[in-house]
Amino acid sequence: MDLSIVVPYLGLLASGFGYTVFCWLAGALGAMALGLPIALLRMSPVRWLRIPAVLYIEAIRGTPLLLIAFLIYGGGPAFGLLLEPLPAGILALALHASAYFAEIYRVGFNAVPRGHVEAAASLGMSPVATFLRVQLPEALVAVTPSMVNALVVLSKETSILSIISVPDLTYEVQKMGIETFASFESLFALAIGYWALVSVISTLGAAFERRVTFHIHAARSQ
Amino acid sequence: MTQHMVEIRHLHKRFGAVEVLSDVSLTAETSKVLCLIGPSGSGKSTLLRCINFLERYEAGDVRVEGELVGYEERGGQRRLASGAKLRQQRRKIGMVFQQFNLWPHMTAIGNVADPLIRVRGFSKAQARERALAVLEKVGLAAKAASYPANLSGGQQQRVAIARALAMEPHLMLFDEPTSALDPELVGEVLQVMRALASEGMTMVVVTHEMGFAAGAADKIAFLDKGRIVQCGPPDILRKSDEPRLRQFLQTYHERNDF
Amino acid sequence: MTVYVSLLGVLVGVPIGILVLITGTLGTAGRLFTKIYVSYFRGVPLLVQLLVLFNFLPWIKFDISATAAAVTALGLITAAYVSEILRGTLHSIPPGQSEAAAALGYGPRATWQYILLPQVIRLSIPALFNELTLLLKSSSLISVVGIAELTRVSQNIVATTFRPVEIYLVAAGIYIVMSQILLTAGRLLERHWARR
Repeated sequence: MDLSIVVPYLGLLASGFGYTVFCWLAGALGAMALGLPIALLRMSPVRWLRIPAVLYIEAIRGTPLLLIAFLIYGGGPAFGLLLEPLPAGILALALHASAYFAEIYRVGFNAVPRGHVEAAASLGMSPVATFLRVQLPEALVAVTPSMVNALVVLSKETSILSIISVPDLTYEVQKMGIETFASFESLFALAIGYWALVSVISTLGAAFERRVTFHIHAARSQ
Repeated sequence: MTQHMVEIRHLHKRFGAVEVLSDVSLTAETSKVLCLIGPSGSGKSTLLRCINFLERYEAGDVRVEGELVGYEERGGQRRLASGAKLRQQRRKIGMVFQQFNLWPHMTAIGNVADPLIRVRGFSKAQARERALAVLEKVGLAAKAASYPANLSGGQQQRVAIARALAMEPHLMLFDEPTSALDPELVGEVLQVMRALASEGMTMVVVTHEMGFAAGAADKIAFLDKGRIVQCGPPDILRKSDEPRLRQFLQTYHERNDF
Repeated sequence: MTVYVSLLGVLVGVPIGILVLITGTLGTAGRLFTKIYVSYFRGVPLLVQLLVLFNFLPWIKFDISATAAAVTALGLITAAYVSEILRGTLHSIPPGQSEAAAALGYGPRATWQYILLPQVIRLSIPALFNELTLLLKSSSLISVVGIAELTRVSQNIVATTFRPVEIYLVAAGIYIVMSQILLTAGRLLERHWARR
């Protein structure tokens, strides 16, 4: 095994890693922002707001991310939406994950006891203040574990964007494998790399989870 | 004629086909303690929740300081009061719940201070100062920085009382404030409530604690099946010959004596 | 082809998943193996795993069809998720049940076969069907190695017709319908068993 063949590719690998992390973060932020209004529509007492939200969630959850990416990247021009691979990929990732985040938010809001909202009402808090100060923070804490899990899943799914030629880590490693005739070795190293990346993210996520939920667990000693 | 703090007239409330309150009329006077007692399902909690409109009522009047709660009347027509109007009414009615309903993501002092900031427009410093003073009053200044999960049930309920008190309500509603507590923690909460009563706070209390009702109440209303069966001074608990009240008290004593 | 590959993936995945789960209860080495297996297959993107496997087989000069390789890959990955789902359910079964079985003279094998597995599988049905829909969507990734499943076929049609929007939307519709069928079937089975 000759590791020196990797040297000329180090720059590309670093840039690929950067794209992977960027796609992950941008996609996650987009999905979190998009998921919230969808969750609120999904929980709306008004039927005509609720039904489209349900359809959106079911449709997105039923469609593979790859197909969503094809639709936006390949089908976009038909709507006058001519996107480079990178923005198309991030948009696909955000749409895809937004359905999952919407469901996570919904579970979170349902986990807030009714009494907590009534307490706010009895103190004369407005619906907006109640939402911002009581429901949203409580819901976010309740969903932190599922949120962390969804973010970990999303970090892996960014690799799919390499298929629409977003130059991420997977894309660069594949290219390197083909050019150096060492496809298996490169890809196996890539797998180990992702494994490490995902493990790091999971560990950080678990630590974050303990941090934000510490106040709902009774202290063991005082 | 002096004004009643709370005046309920011919109140009706139903859940679907079940009439949970029928033709209830009752008053609570300023600086007095009114206790609502009765078997579970008698409608006493629902009645209490109608006073600050957490529960909508269909017919009848609920007036607090002379003002109709939850509805606006214009030209004989009655319509739901606006959210802002309702909030302004609720501001002067403090409420304490059976399940405390502290917000788990805020500390004790956060729970007390936050409504002061959001609703009363206090600055953070003012709110903290007021919150600390009220926590001191319920004997919990030392626990100000604790999260609810690290407080006992009795301590949580005292924080909840402090949260309501800090808003300077004209009237306090208590919905079975000790029912979710372990027996040894009931005393500390009742003690805070007695102190409050002796300071002249107007209180309406739904309770199963007959000792508290007999000792602290100025007036007791006994409800059964959505109606007020008897209403009078605390000695109705000893002297009444109303059969349903006697039977209710009989059951109560059997359960609590050994 | 999509249905075929997904179903085979499950048929391969569930038994392997059960094996992985049981291996995890057999001593330190078994536990370590299961831990690494699950961690690897859950930690590495599916696409990368498929690419690794497709390049691994020629590398060791092992010649099987692309479809067989795809099924193997999907099966191995599904097994990791299945074993995790089953492990979660297993923890929800009170230990008293195994103790009761032991007290009645069941051996470990019999306890697994008659007491634990039937319950675990039944209780896991909703999660397993959910996993099946994920697998269905994951199978779109094998299009990259040229297998003519739904996504690949639609790509090919797009390449000749230049109507990407219509074709991809139809493909998405087919995926959505299949997912809904699976989810409904899972719910029905769950309710069926809950009634007994």
